[in-house]
Amino acid sequence: MDFGLLDAFSLPFMARALGTVAVLAVAAGIVGIGISFRELEFVSDGLVHAVFPGLVIGAAVGGTAGLLPGAVVAALAAAVLFTVLGAEDSGRDAAIAVVLTGLFSLGVVLVSRQQGYVSQLQELLFGRLLTVTELQLWQIVAVSLIAVTLMALTLRAQLFRAFDPAGFEAAGFGPRRTDLALISSIALLTVAGVQALGVLMVVALLTVPMAVSRLVSRRFSLLIPIAILVPLLAGSLGLWLAFDWSVGTGATVSAGAVVVLVLLAIYGIAVLGGGAARAVRGVRGRLGRPGGIGRRGPSTARRAG
Amino acid sequence: MSYFTRAVIELILLGLLSGIAGTLIVLRRRSFFAVALSHATFPGGVVFAVAGYNLLIGQALFAVLLVLIMTLLARVPGQGRQVASGVVLSFGFALGALLASLNSGLGVPVEALLVGSPLSVTDSDLAAAAAVLLLTLVVAVAAGRRILFHTFDPVGFEAAGFRSWPVELAVTGIIAASVVVAMPAVGAVLGVAVLIGPAAAARVLAPRVQWIPPLAASLGVAAGLAGLWASRAFDIAAGGSIGLAMSAVYVLALLLRRIADAIRPLSPPQPSL
Repeated sequence: MDFGLLDAFSLPFMARALGTVAVLAVAAGIVGIGISFRELEFVSDGLVHAVFPGLVIGAAVGGTAGLLPGAVVAALAAAVLFTVLGAEDSGRDAAIAVVLTGLFSLGVVLVSRQQGYVSQLQELLFGRLLTVTELQLWQIVAVSLIAVTLMALTLRAQLFRAFDPAGFEAAGFGPRRTDLALISSIALLTVAGVQALGVLMVVALLTVPMAVSRLVSRRFSLLIPIAILVPLLAGSLGLWLAFDWSVGTGATVSAGAVVVLVLLAIYGIAVLGGGAARAVRGVRGRLGRPGGIGRRGPSTARRAG
Repeated sequence: MSYFTRAVIELILLGLLSGIAGTLIVLRRRSFFAVALSHATFPGGVVFAVAGYNLLIGQALFAVLLVLIMTLLARVPGQGRQVASGVVLSFGFALGALLASLNSGLGVPVEALLVGSPLSVTDSDLAAAAAVLLLTLVVAVAAGRRILFHTFDPVGFEAAGFRSWPVELAVTGIIAASVVVAMPAVGAVLGVAVLIGPAAAARVLAPRVQWIPPLAASLGVAAGLAGLWASRAFDIAAGGSIGLAMSAVYVLALLLRRIADAIRPLSPPQPSL
């Protein structure tokens, strides 16, 4: 270990990467609650792929500066599309898969018409966490802020809809509007994360933090704080590991990949730890049943309140 | 055989495979599973490319490993149903990206692994696809009715005295094997496109459930060949072009259905699916 933690993060590009990870962690922790309780992991994956053609078109029109506008337009268009698809329930997941691969194919086809096809493709797919510029960081902050605001403004409605869809409609709320707000919020978070982590790995940021949080905590009020802390920890640890590894061996290490792997390692620990804790407590029939997953949320919430 | 002939044969085999594997994915709602699985075979391909072995074997081994992980994670209480797929998917890409970045000098065909290259399909890839197709057909003939029963009424299936796990195992095996043999042609990201697209389109169009597999197979073959032709005619990436063709078939099917539904009220009501 040649560098200490503080030494490494005093380098400007490392500090920017850490800042990026911190902003994304906060946003992912807050938006993640909507993804997790509405079981929108697949829709999130679809949104991630849908952003890809937007990035390609944006880059073709305006270079690096065009990435963000292209991604935002594609993400919001996809958000509307997925909201409409979500309305008809039969065959919904197949429809998502077809839209997902179709839009991604569109991106591939568009990229393949350009010069430097392979390197550009890899850059968009895997991101470049260590070369995030000052401008990009501010863009990420701005987009994340909009995503979080959208989620925070509709949070009560989102939770009502997640836990009691029938009651939600009976109380006179519009499910379409709430869905559109949630999916747009996820889409914007995707846009924020995609420049740092790339199209293929940003889905980890959307789904894993809240999954860890729900495994670790049974108190509703702790879900968001834990879901923010987990990627923050994974981000700083992962960045430091990747840096130390690159410097130590002289190899190119994809920092984004290390961050995601550390995040997944934390998830693995949470799964194993949860299993051990349950074994110690003795299996209490209701909680131990895999089928009872969806029903657990509301009772947890009531206990916390 | 020329490389173009091989690509044509591969796409015909995959199109036919979509008739059964795709139908199973669509009717049993296993799309996210299939997507996660195809994405996650990426690191297996990278590892075997670095080691210089056959890519398809690496992807198959990794598919088995990941199905096991997913099955175990699905049993963890207190999380949503889709979390296991999301976790496995992220794991595959992160591991693949890390390994590819560590071995960037070794010429790992990252692009081919991700979006496929139908024109560089080998004879062993063709043999693998044909073998999986044959095996799938045997299973479908032997246990098709039982799988259909379990798909539409799992509770009734168990009440009738059948056990669920052999069906689950057979279906998961068929889906995983089909996803793996689709990899050389269309890659880890678009691998599911050739399986799901035609079957989803067939499901929209078919008047009866029995019509879905043959319809999906014909649409799959037609769209695959159309995609290959477009890639040659317009000089675009073949994997992307085929993926786009598959989605186009689905969109066309939806439009056709809309038009048919708009016309139908004029004619006497018909029993539908």
